[in-house]
Amino acid sequence: MTLIRQTTHSHPMEDAHAEQSWKEWFELHGPKLLLCARQWTRSRADAEDVVQDAFVRFWRRQRQLPGEPLALLLTSIRRAALDRARRESRRGAREEDALAGDADDLGLFGTAAEVDDRRRAIESALLRLPSEQREVLVLRIWGELTFAAIAHQLDVPLNTAASRYRYALAALRHELTGADCHG
Amino acid sequence: MDDDFRELEAELRNLRPATVSRGLLERIARELDEPVSNGSAAVGRNHDKGAWVPWVILPIAAAIAFAVALPRQPAQSPGAAEPDGARGLAAAPAFKPVSAQNLLVSSRDEGYVTLADGTRARRIRQSYVDTITWKNPRTKASLTWSLPREEVRVTPISYE
Repeated sequence: MTLIRQTTHSHPMEDAHAEQSWKEWFELHGPKLLLCARQWTRSRADAEDVVQDAFVRFWRRQRQLPGEPLALLLTSIRRAALDRARRESRRGAREEDALAGDADDLGLFGTAAEVDDRRRAIESALLRLPSEQREVLVLRIWGELTFAAIAHQLDVPLNTAASRYRYALAALRHELTGADCHG
Repeated sequence: MDDDFRELEAELRNLRPATVSRGLLERIARELDEPVSNGSAAVGRNHDKGAWVPWVILPIAAAIAFAVALPRQPAQSPGAAEPDGARGLAAAPAFKPVSAQNLLVSSRDEGYVTLADGTRARRIRQSYVDTITWKNPRTKASLTWSLPREEVRVTPISYE
């Protein structure tokens, strides 16, 4: 099970306004959307549901809208995920419990053949970050959003978004350095 | 960001999120009406298959309940005197539909499709907002109900 796979290149942002098949676009950006959705949902299945809804709505009705498609989709996904989380919270569940608990349901890690120690250490450290730091980090690194977009997305001041990002990196570095020292 | 962070950021950027599941692709394909290659059995949503139902049913139920409940007169005690004409007013339906409007919001030509019998057809998907207004002639109160609606038109094409 892997959250992330190592690659040596990055993908340029494709133009969703242009004529392009949904599959091409989704194969490129779907993994990022799913990863971000996982920050706000209790399970991979929930994340897939909110991504599915948001993407279908986007592709049918919103892709001609001006603006950054990825940011628009992430906004939609986050709202849907939070609505779902509120419904779930009424049943006494919490996102952190799910993230920290059932590893089989995380869907964050790939097949054993793909996993190496370093990647596993990073993933593990990511999951231990406070959720408000982790979501900023994920939106910045894999969501490819600017700090301004993240601040808008999370409805926090820009400086707060930037600070959380720095705290997240510092915590990750601390965790990974510790892991290296011990292992 | 200091150099240590830059190094870490670069390392994180080199990690690519795991690919999405085949099941998710199939569900999206089904919703977008485009078959995925090797079309396997239809895969349903993970949860909330009928989640749209409340959004359609609830406004209708609320509108009906409102229309029925609002004009109801307070219960009269048996034998209570009623002014002339009051019985007629109370018996009359309070809210009456006075206007209905279908506003076309968007129309998208989805191109040609092949029907089950092999006929070629053109599919057009249109989104509307239907607005219905009721008025109570006695109190002049009005009730407006708007509901989004999607309509798919499939028109067979023949080449002659």
